[in-house]
Amino acid sequence: MKGEFVVNGKRVRCTFSTDVTLLDLLRSEGFTEVKEGCREGQCGCCVVLLEGKLVNSCQVFAASAMGKEITTVKGLGNLHSPHPLQTAFVEAGAVQCGFCTPGMILAAYALLKENPDPNDEEIIQALDGNLCRCTGYVKIIQAVKRGARRMRS
Amino acid sequence: MKDMHQVGKSPDKIDSLALATGDEKFTDDFTLDDLLFAVLLYSPHAHAQIDGIDCTEALKVPGVVDILTHENVPRVLHSTAGQGYPEPSPYDALLFDKRVRFVGDRVALVAAESESAAREALGKIKVEYRLLEPLFHMEEAMKEGSPRIHADDEHVKIPAIYEPERNLCAEVNITLGDLDRGFNEADFIEEHTYRTQAVSHCAIELHTVKSCFDVRGRLVIISSTQVPFHARRIVSRVLGIPLWMIRVIKPRIGGGFGGKQEVFLEPLAALVTWRHKRPCRIVLTRKEVFISSRTRHAMRIRLKTGVRVDGSISALEMDGLLNSGAYGTHALTVLSNVGAKVLPLFNKIENLRFHGRSVYTNLPVGGAFRGYGASQGYFAFNQQIDMIARRTGQDVREYIKKWHIKEGETSAVFKALGEGKEGVSQTIRSCRLGECIDRGADAIGWKEKRGKRLKTGIDSVRGVGMAVAMQGSGIPKIDMASAYMKMNEDGSFNLFVGATDIGTGSDTILAQIAAEVLQVPVESIIVLSSDTDLTPFDTGAYASSTTYISGAAVKKCALELRKQIFRTAARMLDRDIEQLSLECGKVVDTRNGKALSFEEIAYHATYFEDQFQIQGHASHTSTQSPPPFIAQFAEVELDLRTGRVAVVKFVSAVDCGQPINPKLVEGQVEGSVLQGLGYALTEDYAFDSNGKMLNPRFWDYKIFTAADTPEMITIIVDSHEDSGPFGAKSVGEIAINGPAPAVANAIFDAAGIRLYELPMTPERVWKKLEESSEG
Amino acid sequence: MKEIEWYFPQRLDELPALLMKRGVIPHGGGTGILMTRMRSTAGLIDLGSLPLHFFRRKNGRVEIGATLTFAELAKQFTPDHIVSRALRRSASTPLRNRITVGGSIAFFPSWSDLMGPLIALDTEVTLIGGEHDSHNGDQKSNPVRVRKGRWGGVPSLTVPLVQYLRESNMRKQTLITSISFTEEQWDSYYYRHTYTHFDYPAFTLTVLLNKGAGRIHDLRCVVVGCRGKYERLTQVEEALRGSQLKDVSSLELPRLLFTGKKRTSPEYLAHCARVELGRGIDQLLGE
Repeated sequence: MKGEFVVNGKRVRCTFSTDVTLLDLLRSEGFTEVKEGCREGQCGCCVVLLEGKLVNSCQVFAASAMGKEITTVKGLGNLHSPHPLQTAFVEAGAVQCGFCTPGMILAAYALLKENPDPNDEEIIQALDGNLCRCTGYVKIIQAVKRGARRMRS
Repeated sequence: MKDMHQVGKSPDKIDSLALATGDEKFTDDFTLDDLLFAVLLYSPHAHAQIDGIDCTEALKVPGVVDILTHENVPRVLHSTAGQGYPEPSPYDALLFDKRVRFVGDRVALVAAESESAAREALGKIKVEYRLLEPLFHMEEAMKEGSPRIHADDEHVKIPAIYEPERNLCAEVNITLGDLDRGFNEADFIEEHTYRTQAVSHCAIELHTVKSCFDVRGRLVIISSTQVPFHARRIVSRVLGIPLWMIRVIKPRIGGGFGGKQEVFLEPLAALVTWRHKRPCRIVLTRKEVFISSRTRHAMRIRLKTGVRVDGSISALEMDGLLNSGAYGTHALTVLSNVGAKVLPLFNKIENLRFHGRSVYTNLPVGGAFRGYGASQGYFAFNQQIDMIARRTGQDVREYIKKWHIKEGETSAVFKALGEGKEGVSQTIRSCRLGECIDRGADAIGWKEKRGKRLKTGIDSVRGVGMAVAMQGSGIPKIDMASAYMKMNEDGSFNLFVGATDIGTGSDTILAQIAAEVLQVPVESIIVLSSDTDLTPFDTGAYASSTTYISGAAVKKCALELRKQIFRTAARMLDRDIEQLSLECGKVVDTRNGKALSFEEIAYHATYFEDQFQIQGHASHTSTQSPPPFIAQFAEVELDLRTGRVAVVKFVSAVDCGQPINPKLVEGQVEGSVLQGLGYALTEDYAFDSNGKMLNPRFWDYKIFTAADTPEMITIIVDSHEDSGPFGAKSVGEIAINGPAPAVANAIFDAAGIRLYELPMTPERVWKKLEESSEG
Repeated sequence: MKEIEWYFPQRLDELPALLMKRGVIPHGGGTGILMTRMRSTAGLIDLGSLPLHFFRRKNGRVEIGATLTFAELAKQFTPDHIVSRALRRSASTPLRNRITVGGSIAFFPSWSDLMGPLIALDTEVTLIGGEHDSHNGDQKSNPVRVRKGRWGGVPSLTVPLVQYLRESNMRKQTLITSISFTEEQWDSYYYRHTYTHFDYPAFTLTVLLNKGAGRIHDLRCVVVGCRGKYERLTQVEEALRGSQLKDVSSLELPRLLFTGKKRTSPEYLAHCARVELGRGIDQLLGE
């Protein structure tokens, strides 16, 4: 089937099969910053913002996301002008292998949009669907707090 | 200790921004045109002979290009272990065999134009299996009449004990002193059997390989691997392709932890590319990673200690049985490590025996996993120490401080037990374990909490426990690393290392080491790593070798560059080298203060006079493996009615020598601790009666999220190892060894029950509570 | 892989015909279909454009549209309301943004966090589609609670949730459009039996208590995940309803039956269920 999506503000027209997931569609269209880790909706490294809501793209049919706005981590910032959350993750030492990082940053971003001054408990809840095996999460939580402070000021 | 500019600081990891923006590429992020998608067919049976494979219907599926089976691939016995040559693991594996040896063993590969076509074809391959009796219990493996898993096949022997006709794939046996006399001298004996389980590394990135031809007709393999150089060699051997025709590149990797220290997919992708002259992609699904990649070896450890009333150990006997699974990769070396990394810690034990066996079973394959045998061994050892200290009325902290190996001391075990080969004797030059224990105990609140069974509710009680460990820093006389550097005319440098950054930040710390030698900012060191065409050799990211071995190679290499910079400056200033000094990217004439910047020197050398490229290279191996040390403390809260264990607080105090980048050291410790807590409490492989894994998904193989993390404190104690680059040792593995025994000891402290088996699930704890209240 | 026919109805009256198509099921965005039903699914009806995404308070009752997600629903209530308690920890943040009320009821996995609270609240379910005659059957159940109506021009049926769960013909080729329950004051307790925080519970316990002036006016107790999928603990409710608070010390908790799950034995699950149920009731009585 054919459909249109708006990814990071740009219109993307594609042809895709009826049962393909949004994850597979995005990756085959070149959005490789969206990662595959489990295909079960358990690891969170495939998350994107779908109309501003954090979702596991491996659990969304591309067909049901047609015409909708999708944001990946590249929609937040880039190498030349990174988002404060991205620099916060870097400075806090929250990036080891970095595979979970795009998902973590999007989860943090989704939280901070609704709750710009979260406590530890709220941060942990917001990231409860993102697995990391490298960091033990300690510096990730610190990074979110650091990023939140930056975004507030 | 002189003041350092780069080492001991925590500059940002050089790839972290690009990872945070999603710009860095992992293996599956590289686009290759005309790609073939390859998927694997696995055996549904634990033990069977393949009497026939019929691919006719499968080949008819539109888009299918090829199907590989045992009938049409090279038959070269090898080990998939990512180890140096000759690998100390039996050569008992083939690309595809006529026999399958576990549920999840490989049967065929389908290469097609799309993944869906390949999967459709998978379903149409008809395999005729002749079922054989399976063997699941490692304790049955060597009994008379047990099914033989490798005996009928050819194998290539390694110079070590290997008796596949008895399902024995490795054996280690060392005795020191006189065990009988030692046990006779004992006032009491503590003898216990401990069991640990298989777990999965759960690196978030799935195993991924892509292969293609470059424009020169050479095979290029991009792989999510910890061992690019071993991968090149093994692919060459197994496929019969000359090594010079193969290039292996490691891009960013999403974690390894030992699970990617294995070469079992690269040869398959390479073969598809070789035959069809097209790129090939293999990505395992999460389920395939769980079942068909590698696990930590499950073990049974019997530990018998003869103890005098003062607590001294008169004799120690450790008997290990390691479940190798269907193939013997890493079976000898992990087994050896159980003794080699544990027993030297208490080096005053004169009468000691370590006997271990690794056996084949029809289960998923054990391989390298952070800790590498030490984790299993320390689960047993630290609980035994806790028991001995209690029984002799001592505070376990003082007990350990009294008996552990100290600076200036050695252990006969170092020489007696190596990793496969004979070991290497060494003397400990740096050991701050005592300070680790003291500071860690303070941080957990030992005095206030130990033995107090503080209640936080009607049914909940708290306890604290501790564990200590040592690991190693590389494999002595075996691991080798090298580095190459060149200077650019603006005073910046390119650093080429084979060393493999698997998320650990090795690119960054190696840059810091070079920057420290040259007294320049870290940003002026441009790192390129892990490309077998562009970078010199490195054994790879394992055995906690990167900082100690690769770092030393980088340091030597940078020193070579420094020499050339000085020589050039000396010519330019018409001085002797002794009259010059290095200061922040400048060479200074100590007589008159005249300085030349690196840029001026480099321009001179490149363009002006006696032109040459300022460049250097160095390699490093070591005759020793100075151990890092760690003391870890757990505070748990136990629900006495349901057995639920919550880890409230966890403290690690580590002596890793000089930390090159303290923030990255903390990161290694924090990640290891959480991985170790999963090992301790929730992770497990469950099988049905036919040997099929029941929980190969994150759905019911639970690893922790941020919500499960206890309050974690990491303390890096001041230490300096003379033999290490700027005093460094290692830290990549050690912190995973303490969580399980520390938690077990804390549970005992809270409720007087001891768990000898992992994982310590609520139900198991509850059962123990029930038993103890009835008794 | 597999071709699926997609339908994007803009009006509710398109549904009945679509629902009658073989192998075609509604899809509100939830994850249930991706988990289990791929093989037999010939088509999916995307509910995104239908007027099923709402939350209304009206005449002391709460009406919830079927495509409201767990995250959205949890936010409609204060944190101490049973629905919020149960749903805000369910699954994970990104999953809560997709799991829908209607989908969750239709799928009803044994690890559901939604069903215990809904059953305890005597929830009603409104359906459209299906075979009308069959809904008239089973007059043995409380017939006055089966109400016919119209929804966006389409005949609808409103039934108690428990009846929907009992009668499999009600789940064939129907679509849940909304649910409703009376908004009352309850003290609530919710327990999920998990091994890590992001985990699917082996069972859940829902307890609602209404007390005042030293007595228990009303009590509702539901366990989900036991044998038979769920159980309303009427004997506990009856034993406590009307009692004086001071007389409640020796309450005999029922022996619940479980099958072994997630490598946990039925005995251990039953034990934990009793312990946690007792704790929950104690906690509510003590408050």
